[in-house]
Amino acid sequence: NNSSQLSSLPLHILLYVNGIYYIFYFLATLAMIIYKSQVFSYPDDLLAPDLAVLFLMAILEVPRLYLGFKGNLTEAEAPLGLSLGLTVGSVVLCVYLLQWQTYVLWADVLLNAVLLSAYGLESGLKVTAIAAFVS
Amino acid sequence: PADTRDAARVRSAPAPITDVARLCVCDLLVAQCDVNCCCDPDCSAEDFSLFTTCSVPVVIGDSQLCSQKAAVYSLDVEANPPERIFKLIDQVNPSIFCIHAANYEQALYLKSPEIPTPENFDQLLEKFGGASFRAEPDSWNLDTDAQNPPEANETSRYEYGVPVQTEDAFLRLPSPVVSSWCSDANPAGFLVNQATKCIRSVSVENCDSIQALSMLFYINSSILASVFQVNITVQSIAVQSLNGMRTLLSSSDVLRLPMFLDELCINAVLGVNYHITYTDTGEIIEAAAAFVLGAISKETLSIEQSFEISFTQENTQPVPLSGNPGYVVGLPVRAGFQPQGYPFPAAFLFAALALSSNKHSQLTILQSTSTQDCLAAQGARAPVLFGYNMISGCKLRITAAMKCQPLAQTLLDVLKGQSFPEYVASFGNSQAQDVLDWVPITQLHISQQVKSPCQIPVSLGIEVKWTKYGSLVNPQARIVNVTATITTTTLKQLPSGREKIIPITSSVVFTDISSPAEPSYKAWPTINIKLPFDFFYPFV
Repeated sequence: NNSSQLSSLPLHILLYVNGIYYIFYFLATLAMIIYKSQVFSYPDDLLAPDLAVLFLMAILEVPRLYLGFKGNLTEAEAPLGLSLGLTVGSVVLCVYLLQWQTYVLWADVLLNAVLLSAYGLESGLKVTAIAAFVS
Repeated sequence: PADTRDAARVRSAPAPITDVARLCVCDLLVAQCDVNCCCDPDCSAEDFSLFTTCSVPVVIGDSQLCSQKAAVYSLDVEANPPERIFKLIDQVNPSIFCIHAANYEQALYLKSPEIPTPENFDQLLEKFGGASFRAEPDSWNLDTDAQNPPEANETSRYEYGVPVQTEDAFLRLPSPVVSSWCSDANPAGFLVNQATKCIRSVSVENCDSIQALSMLFYINSSILASVFQVNITVQSIAVQSLNGMRTLLSSSDVLRLPMFLDELCINAVLGVNYHITYTDTGEIIEAAAAFVLGAISKETLSIEQSFEISFTQENTQPVPLSGNPGYVVGLPVRAGFQPQGYPFPAAFLFAALALSSNKHSQLTILQSTSTQDCLAAQGARAPVLFGYNMISGCKLRITAAMKCQPLAQTLLDVLKGQSFPEYVASFGNSQAQDVLDWVPITQLHISQQVKSPCQIPVSLGIEVKWTKYGSLVNPQARIVNVTATITTTTLKQLPSGREKIIPITSSVVFTDISSPAEPSYKAWPTINIKLPFDFFYPFV
């Protein structure tokens, strides 16, 4: 029955879990930035880029997940390819928050590492799915 | 050569040390070993063997980092001789919110201050040169008002406490600051009645050149008020002689300046009393100064000057209140007379009470003097202060030659004073026009013994009954009843040559007759439901 259904079930599950996890990740990172701005010395010209990156990542996540779901369910490789491209952007922003933020707390490291691993796994599954759809 | 030397002289602040192995807080002496300081690089092994403990056991970096280096110093007392152990370890902070990495270097260290150079000196002085500075230097202006000339609309209206401005600076009221020496920089505040005394050092030979001893110093500047300036006029001049006796001069328009004459400095200012008159809108319209000039002898090194300022509203007579409205404990009880020619109660309502002849319209009581002789202590009275029970007295020496009637009259004068008032103010701020606010003094006579031809008063007891009036949380004291009781006794005729001493007393007692307070509550709101009269139309 694999031949009749090309959509990848693990990818679908992962995308779903990623969506829920991302909401938690966004709220937790925002709360921690607020905490850092109160406890540490956080000048405005360093706070602005960090917040911008976080919100940009949130804006990218929505179409990324939507295109991922759509591409996987309709077995079309174009949306899935687009989603893969957006994932690359999200990975870059995630690495920024992991490495180049003004203050990187231990909790930041954990959250970003989990998100990066999810992105990595997703990308692998998407590539597999595209290969399955194309052939 | 000059500019290269200048360039070389521009130094920067020393770089902050962040290596924990090199930081030592207890290393205070340079090139010497500090006692019990285990991190001091100037100490040798022999010095360490003499230490008892390490005053600084560990030096760590910021404890908010996830892992930081720590230098641990300890003394091994077991070894012989004791030696210092130095360990550099990594300390881990297990908190989940510890800083794993900080990409902002200045986050964890204090900011290095700017080193002043000829270029930025002016800007730094402007920012930090005052007594205090803020983060926003542009909005904070530290100049004193005396330097900027005030605008006209600012001086037209004075508010309570605002310094009274004159042409050059402020109206000065010299007062003691910190010590008893006079400071001329104390401005007089509007509506703030002040009386100060301070000491000024003088050199009598040059007393005509000392500004603060001359009348001109106190009246030469005119007060700024609305559109015109008010000159300070000389109200009166009293001359005080060396033994302290004061004489009021009849003409006060001649300016008397100090001069050195016959080993004395005459016309030196010993006291100034300013009287400022203002309108009810806060504009100053008149200013007068009453001087006390005196003579200073050559040996005097310092004199005491007294200054006073009082503000009066125009067209009013200043009467100090004893409370507003209830009496304040410690303030004098106010009293007055019913004016002559109004014997009938009906006329009361249209007449105002004349305040008693005591300068401050107070109820007074005999004041005990050091001589304790009733006949010698003429006129020394003390004001009755609300809430303070007082007793005073004197001793009367009776000789055989004294006649009864004049003695009784004299004693009555001694006890009651020259003009004993008839009414006492019920509230501290009772006005003379409101006759109903005044309580009449009830006079009682008690004879100690059987009526005999000669009765002399020996004691006066004033009992003031007061009550708490008004709200429960802020009760006001109100005088309800005043009774003056004169107790008389018989004077027995003495055999000639003998004399007797009898004590004369007068007392004031304040009794609180307030009834217990009743808390009262607002009535419950009633629900007023009424149906409209045609509610049951068409059935009714």
